[in-house]
Amino acid sequence: MTHAPGASRTPTSNPVLRRALTWGGILAAVILVVSAVLGFVFAGVDGLVSALVGTVMAVVFMGITAASILLANRFSGSDVFVGAFFGIVLGGWLLKFVIFIVLVLVLRDAPWLNGTVLFLSIVAGVIASLVVDVLVVARSRLPYASDVDLPKPPVEE
Amino acid sequence: MDATTVLAEINGNIATVGYGLAAIGPAIGVGIVVGKTIEGVARQPELAGRLQVLMWIGIAFTEALAFIGIATYFIFV
Repeated sequence: MTHAPGASRTPTSNPVLRRALTWGGILAAVILVVSAVLGFVFAGVDGLVSALVGTVMAVVFMGITAASILLANRFSGSDVFVGAFFGIVLGGWLLKFVIFIVLVLVLRDAPWLNGTVLFLSIVAGVIASLVVDVLVVARSRLPYASDVDLPKPPVEE
Repeated sequence: MDATTVLAEINGNIATVGYGLAAIGPAIGVGIVVGKTIEGVARQPELAGRLQVLMWIGIAFTEALAFIGIATYFIFV
């Protein structure tokens, strides 16, 4: 990769990921309200709490991937970038699933949770965040030759 | 002891097998997605930004299956 001295080395994927996180957060708020209302209607206060927990879990866990890529991109330009990038992204992925399984085991027997509402709100949150991801990527413009810096024209003296 | 007797002695929740299955598929999927991204970036480092976005979409779809698979623990008794 050729970089002009002082040129920006930030990968061009950063704005896309940041936009996806923002829109994901906005949609999460909408789903939070809708699922909380539906949960309350069908299962009372337990349903309301379950819907809140389920939606937050789905959106946070789906957002961790984009957040970890953004974090890893701070190392761009350094010699350890490739190693650090995949270490952080895949390490974050592994950690996320371990935390998710532990949460599932802990929450399973909680008396104040309604399993069906929780499951449905997790599925709703996951699908919604996939839709947001696809829409953001489909509408984003990434330059084809992204991180290349063109040589500057010689200065006339 | 024949196989039928051994099988009859096994007890526990069959859904446990499902969690294992839910882990295998996404593990393979994410492995392929990330491996191919490394390959692509090694060939054309200037495309790293584009490839990262595609990798992220690939991971998101793959892990969605894993999330739903593990979350079925809440509904299967």
